[in-house]
Formats: sequence, C-alpha cells, structure tokens
Amino acid sequence: MHLKEITLTHFKNYDIQKLEAGPFLNCLTGLNGMGKTNLLDAIYYLCMCKSNFNLDRDTRQFGKEFFRVEGHFVRKNKDEKIVCKVIPGKKKVFEANDVAYKKLSEHIGLFPVVMIRPGDTSLALEGSEDRRRFLDNTLCQLDVIYLNHLITYNKILKQRNIYLKSIPYGSRPNEQLLKTYDLQLLEPAKYIQVRRREGLEELRPIFNQYYARISGGAEQVDCQYQSKVDENFEAQLEAVRMKDLQLRRTTVGIHKDDLIFKLNDYNLKKTGSQGQLKSYILSIKLAQYEYIRQHKEVKPILLLDDIFDKLDANRVRQLLELLLENDFGQIFLTDTHESRTTEIADSLERDYKKFHVEKGRIEEK
Amino acid sequence: MNFSSKLIEEAVQSFASLPGIGKKSALRIILHLLNQDTNLTEQFCDPILKMRRHIKTCKECHNLSDAETCEICINIHRDKSLICVVENIRDLMAIEDTGQYRGRYHVLGGVISPIEGVGPQDLNIETLEGRIAKGDVKEVIMAISPTIEGETTIFYISKKIKEKNIRVSTIARGVSFGGELEYADEVTLGRSIVARVPYKTNQ
Repeated sequence: MHLKEITLTHFKNYDIQKLEAGPFLNCLTGLNGMGKTNLLDAIYYLCMCKSNFNLDRDTRQFGKEFFRVEGHFVRKNKDEKIVCKVIPGKKKVFEANDVAYKKLSEHIGLFPVVMIRPGDTSLALEGSEDRRRFLDNTLCQLDVIYLNHLITYNKILKQRNIYLKSIPYGSRPNEQLLKTYDLQLLEPAKYIQVRRREGLEELRPIFNQYYARISGGAEQVDCQYQSKVDENFEAQLEAVRMKDLQLRRTTVGIHKDDLIFKLNDYNLKKTGSQGQLKSYILSIKLAQYEYIRQHKEVKPILLLDDIFDKLDANRVRQLLELLLENDFGQIFLTDTHESRTTEIADSLERDYKKFHVEKGRIEEK
Repeated sequence: MNFSSKLIEEAVQSFASLPGIGKKSALRIILHLLNQDTNLTEQFCDPILKMRRHIKTCKECHNLSDAETCEICINIHRDKSLICVVENIRDLMAIEDTGQYRGRYHVLGGVISPIEGVGPQDLNIETLEGRIAKGDVKEVIMAISPTIEGETTIFYISKKIKEKNIRVSTIARGVSFGGELEYADEVTLGRSIVARVPYKTNQ
C-alpha cells in the first residue's frame, strides 16, 4: 500500500498544496518551522481520522474556517480516494471513493500508519496516558472490535464519572445506577485487557530484537504490561466505591493500565541516558510498525519525523541498515540537513523522491 | 430578507422558528394565509391554541392525551399484562403504526445520561414501578434505542423491577428485514450471530 498523491487545503501552515509521492522513500528537507512535520501529520490524519499533535481547531490554517485533505492511495492494486473535510465544531466528514463513512471507526485500520517523532520520548517520560494511547493506537488499527469496545468503555466511564461529580454533597448516591455502570463496564474491560496483554506479548520479542540492533546489543531491555484489573472487576469496583465517591471519579479500571519500560532491570525513566531513551523509543515504535505489518495484508506507511536528531553516527547507521534489510513499505522522512539525507538516500540504491519545504510550499527536487 | 411590514416580519419569524421551516417557506405560508379570508386564518390558529391549552399527559403511561387517561390505557381490549417501555412519544407512535402491538405503553421521557443532565429521577421510572406493583403486569418490553445510554436505562430499570418476578424482554436487534447481510455492519452482524434465534418451521 502507498500514497500516490496528497492535496492539503488550509491544513496548518499550508494554503493549497499538492504532492506526488514515490512508492518507496520520500525525503522532505527544509529549515525549522517550514511545514515538514505538518505534511506528515496530514498523511497521519488521512489514515487515523485525527491529528497526531493538535485538536481539529488548531489543525486548520490560521484564520480559516475549515481544512481538507485529499489522498489517492494504492491499496491491494486498487486506487482509493480518501477525502476528509473538517469544520471544527461540526461533524467530521470522511469519504472513501466519494462515499461518506457513517462512522469514522469504519475507516481506522484500512490504511495503517506509524509515525515516529521526537516527541515520542513522552512515552517514557510522561504519565501512563501516553503509553495507553500507544497500545490503543496499535490495537485499534488491527482489530475493529477492540476499537468499538474501547469507544464503549470510554463512553460509559465518562457517564459514570459525570454522575459521580453530579451527586450533591451530603446526599446519598444512587447505588443501583452505579452498579448498572459497573456491569456495563465489565464486557468491554475484559476484551480490552485480553487484547492488550496478547498484543504486548507479541510486541516484546520484536522490540528486543530491534533494540539489540540499534544499540549494538549494549543493554538488556524489557517492556511489561501492568493492569490492576483482575478476574473479578465487578467486586473491585464495589470495593473502591467509597473512594470513588470521595474523589468523584472511577479509580479502578483498564483506564489505569500502564506499560513498564525497563533498561537493564531498572526503570528507563530513572536511569536511561538521552541516547538510550531515544533508541528505546525508536525500537518500540519500529516494533509497533512490524507488529502491525505482521497482522495486516498491507504494509503500513512509516512517517519518520526528524529521527536522526540526537542519535550518534553509529546508531544512525544501524538504523539505516535495519530499514534497508527489512522490507519497509512507503516511508516519509523529514530532516533539516539536506546533505545528510541525500547521502543516506543515495546509499540505499533505490528510487527515492526528494522534496524541499519552505514556508508552506513544497517543491520536488 | 426585507419586509415592508413589521407584522409580516414577526409572523415569518414565528413560523421560521419551527423545525424544518426556513425563512422562505415561512414567507410562503404567510402570503398564502394573507390571500385567504381572515376567518380561515382563525380556523387555522384555533386548533393549535386549543391543543396547546388542553392537551394532557396520561397519568398512567405519560402518553399525550385529551383526558386524564389516554385512549390506549382506557381501551379494555388492550392487554393490561403487557407494558412496552419507550423513550418518547414518537417512538410510541412508531410502534403503534406497526399495528403489531396490543399491549400498553410507558413513556420514560428520555434515557439516563448524566452528561446531558438526565438522571433516573428525571425519568418516569417510579410511576412504572407503581404500575408494576399493582400486580397485573406479566411482562415488560424494553423498546429503547440500542445506544450506550439506552443500555444503561434498560439495565437500570431491569434491576429495579427484578424482585417483582415479571418477565423483562428487549426488542430484537440485528439484521434489518429485507436487508442484505453483506451490508450489515460488523457489530450488528456479530451480535446477530451470538443472539441467534431458533428457526420455526410450522408457522
């Protein structure tokens, strides 16, 4: 699968821009703040129905009402036209071959995508939310039932939390309503937990391999799934009832799950150096790509945003060899150093396309 | 739109405030009324005013009614032991239109959704319990939309009336009649397979 052509209208710093991409490697170079990452985000948007960075209202060009992205993909030897039209605050429209989807969830997973960007270090440094989002992002692209269960779980949780917040101080809560929400949470929670556990078990060995390659086997790494939800989730919910009522939110559930990142048996966040952190995150994201690829009939699009930054020359070479020998599909890559990218791309001995990005305009070189 | 008359402008605005009617349609209606006799406009307005002033809510089922109790609840030919629980009056009318149902109704007035500020106490759940407590009811049919909030409502009510030892059922969900399998979405089709029904040959 690959993207043949993309047209952005009022997307971030682009007014109207068309780009014809090559089926293998596409390199975008330019100075800071010119719009390299924004183009990657537009591709991400077409695949995932949302930006990897911003809310919709911040995704449109400054001062404009709407934005639109049109993409022509080739998927299983068939041309597919995907259009998204977004007026922030109104309903988002996604069309496949001129027919609008009834639900966005029908689109997610058809055009798998993995984006690797410098901000991904938040996976290790920030709270558990980012790590859950990483797991969900992976599993949602593979399993539409997972996606539906996740949507359901989040909706019920939101209703439950709003109910907890709405109980006037000093008055008795409606125990039966809370029980109703508890029971409704059980089925989606169970499915989500099982899939997360299975998914991580499959992801772990791939991740270990990648890390060994990129770091040259310097350190031992591991990644564990942690969930406090046990066999009897219903009883757990009941056990924390008083706490939930006091804190006015749901304090137990799969929305508290986490991933534990370990480096040589220590917590990565506490002991890892900048370079180790970067290699770690890069490996886990490449593992995500590989895992999705193994379960899909099509190769995901790989978006690499500024990944050569912070890696030493050795690690960059390792990474490139890896990209070369593993048959990756279509890649979009951004870099501020044109010469570095050219050198790398030439060494791959495959066709590639080079683009120069300047102030919201893209030119093929 | 510019109007030469303030009176017309106000009348147009009134009509345009109704659902499904824009300013142009509103003007068309006003000009039509102006072309007719004055008393025809009165004849038009009177039933609306009368309806608004005298309409009641049935004290049994909360359906709209001319009297204290609605036509359905006083009809002795309708099965007292069967109550169909619906969200609103439009749903009740939709089920009535099928001509397939001969029991009675209970209009909840919405579904439980704390986000929208609707809790169980805002719905007609207590009156439903009251009706069931009288003892004539054998089955309650939940004809509520299969949304998450609808499910919450069904769950909640079933728990409330569990001890009363009556049958609680929900309307069947799945592939629509005359529909084709390949066009049904995965969730619906998946559930239809799980909740399949025995096939009856002698009917």
